[in-house]
Amino acid sequence: MNIRTKLIPVLSLLSVIALQVQAETIRIAIGHQSMCTDTYTAGIVVKELKLLEKHLPTTGKYADVEYDVSWSDYSSGGPITNQMMANKLNFGVMGDYPLIVNGAKFQATDSLRTKYIAGTGYNLKGSGNAIVVPVESDIYSIEELKGKEVSVPVGSAAWGMLLKGMQDTGFSTKDYMLKNQSPAVGAANIAAKKIDAHADFCPWSELMEFRGTGRKIYDGSETGVPYLHGVVVREDFADKYPEVATAFIKAVYEAGDWIREDPIKAVDLIEKWTGVEKEVLYIYFSEGGHLTLDPSIKSEWVDALAFNHGVLVKEKAIPPLDFDEWITEEYVEAAYKDLGKSYKKDKASMVDPAIDNANLPMEIWHSREGISAYASIEEFLGAVDGFRKTGAKLNATYVYDKETGLKLFGKTAFFVLTKNGFETFLRKPDADAFASDAKGEVMDYESALATIGS
Amino acid sequence: MVWLGLAIAFSLLYYLILMMALVIRFENLPNYLNVYEWAFNMKRIWLSTPSWFDTLNIMKDEWLFEIGFMNYDYGTGISQWSLFIAPAKVLGVIFLGVLLSANYLLLRTHNRVCSKDALRGAGLATGLGGTFVSLASITMSWVVCCSTPTWVVGLAMMGLGVSTSLWLEPVGIWVNIIGYMLLLASIYVAASRATANS
Repeated sequence: MNIRTKLIPVLSLLSVIALQVQAETIRIAIGHQSMCTDTYTAGIVVKELKLLEKHLPTTGKYADVEYDVSWSDYSSGGPITNQMMANKLNFGVMGDYPLIVNGAKFQATDSLRTKYIAGTGYNLKGSGNAIVVPVESDIYSIEELKGKEVSVPVGSAAWGMLLKGMQDTGFSTKDYMLKNQSPAVGAANIAAKKIDAHADFCPWSELMEFRGTGRKIYDGSETGVPYLHGVVVREDFADKYPEVATAFIKAVYEAGDWIREDPIKAVDLIEKWTGVEKEVLYIYFSEGGHLTLDPSIKSEWVDALAFNHGVLVKEKAIPPLDFDEWITEEYVEAAYKDLGKSYKKDKASMVDPAIDNANLPMEIWHSREGISAYASIEEFLGAVDGFRKTGAKLNATYVYDKETGLKLFGKTAFFVLTKNGFETFLRKPDADAFASDAKGEVMDYESALATIGS
Repeated sequence: MVWLGLAIAFSLLYYLILMMALVIRFENLPNYLNVYEWAFNMKRIWLSTPSWFDTLNIMKDEWLFEIGFMNYDYGTGISQWSLFIAPAKVLGVIFLGVLLSANYLLLRTHNRVCSKDALRGAGLATGLGGTFVSLASITMSWVVCCSTPTWVVGLAMMGLGVSTSLWLEPVGIWVNIIGYMLLLASIYVAASRATANS
C-alpha cells in the first residue's frame, strides 16, 4: 500500500468532517399549549405526528441543512410571547387575546417584530369560551349573576367574552364581583361550589360538564364575536427562512386533514398526548364540533382581532398594534400553493353551526362498541334507554342546541317535549321560551329518558 | 464585613420571604424545579436583538432557575405559581441590601451624626425606598397573571385587582428608580454632618 492509497480514507474522513462543520443547523423552537384544544393543529398534533419534519425544505439552500426542532408546552400564551422575545422560541401558537398581546408587545420594541402567519381553527360565533356554574346551582342565565362572584383568568379570551357578555346584559363591573382565577383553580372551585360562576376558555367548560361538576349558563357564541387561534413567528426568522414558515403552515393544514379523516382515532391519540378526556375532545373535533380547522386568515378574523385589541386597550392599556404590518398572508398562500390547494376557496368558506349542524345526528359513545348515530332525539333516547337496560357503560352522549347548533353533552342539555317530539337546548331560558311558545314541557336528561322508558 | 454580611443576609431573606408568601397564599409546597441555560440564553439574546435598549430590556428578565407548584389535576400539568431567580434582578436585590445595610449602620444610635429631623427623614426615606425596590424586584409568576414573572404579581396577590395590577406593570422601572433614589438620598442625609447640633 503506497502513501497515496493510505491517504485516501484519511482525506475522505476529513472531507466528511469539514462538510459537517460547514452544514448549517436551523433551530426551530415552537411554543404550544397542550391544554388549549384550538391550538392542537399547530401544536401537539404536528409535534407528535412529526408533520413539520415531513414538510421542512431539503433542497436548494436547505440541501445541507440540519434541523433541530424543539417543542415547549405552556399553560397560556403570555409566557410564549416572553420566550419569543428572548429568541428561545421562533413560533408561538395561541388564542386571540394573547396573539394581540404578542403583536403589540413586539411592536413596542425598537428592533423586534412578529408576524401573524396563519390560523389554526375558529368558531364563528365565539363558542369555546363559556360561563359555568356548579351543577346544582339555581343560576340558569347570565342575568342572574348580578351581585354574584364570578371568576375568570384575566387577560384570556374568556375574560374578553365575559366582559362583552356582561356589557351586552347591561351589567357594569360594579354589578358583579370579578375574581381572577386560573382554569384549574376555577374548575376546582366550581366542583367545591366555592364560587358562583367561572368563565373559561376551551376546553375547560366542557371538562367541567363532562366530569359532572359544572353546567354552562352562557356560551361564547352569544357574544357573536368569533373565537380564533393562530400562529405567530418572529419576523427575523421568517425573513431568513421563509420556506420553513411555509412548511409549518403545511404541517398545520395536514394536521387538520388528519383529524377530519378520523376524529375518533384522533381524539383517542390526543387524549394520550395531552391528558384531556377524549369525550371532551370529541365535542371540539368531531363533525359538528365547536372547532372548524382552517389555517386561512379571513377578513372577519382581522375585524375580530381589532375588536379584541380595543377591549385590551380599554382594560390593560396595552401598546397599539398595526394590524397591516403584523398580519401577512404571504406564507399561508405559499403553503396552499405548494400543497395544490385553493386558498381562496378556504378563505371564502365559513362554517356557521346554526346552519351547518342543523341536520346532524345525535351520537352515543359506547365504551366497547364505539360511536353510533341517531337521526332523531326520540331514537337517540330510546337507544340510551336500551343500552342502560343491558348495563352497558356509555362514555358520553351528544345532542345539538336548537338555538345555536352547538354540540352538547346529552346529560347537560335541556329537553323540551312538544306534540311534535323532542328538541334540545343549551340554556334553560331558551328551553323555557320554546316550551312556552310550543306548549311543551322542559325536562332534564333523566326525565326525558324516563318518558321513553315508561 | 458586617456591611457585606448584612447585604447578603438581606438578599437571602428577601427570596425566602417571597417563597414563603407563595406557599402561604396558595397553600401548596413547591413540587418542581427547572434550571435554565442562563449564560447560553444571554448570548442568544445578545446575538439576535439588534437594538441595545431591547437587548438590555430582555436580558434583565432572563432567569436562571424556577421553583414552583405544578397542578396535575388536568392534562399534563399546569404551573400554578412559581418563583423565578433572574441574576439581573438578584444583583438589584443585593444592591438594595447594600443600601439598606449602609442606612442601618449610619442610623444606629452611636453612629448618628445628623440632626433628629434629618434622622427621621432619612429613616422614612429608607423605609419607603426599601419598600419600593422590594416590590418592583419581585419575580413571582401566577397563572392568572398571564403566567409571566412580573413585579405586579405581588400586588395582585395582596388583593389589588389583576387588571389594575397589569395596568401598573410598565411603571415598575420608575418604582425601582424612585426607591433607589430615596435610599441614596437617605444615606446622603444620614451621613451629613448635623450642623444644627454641632
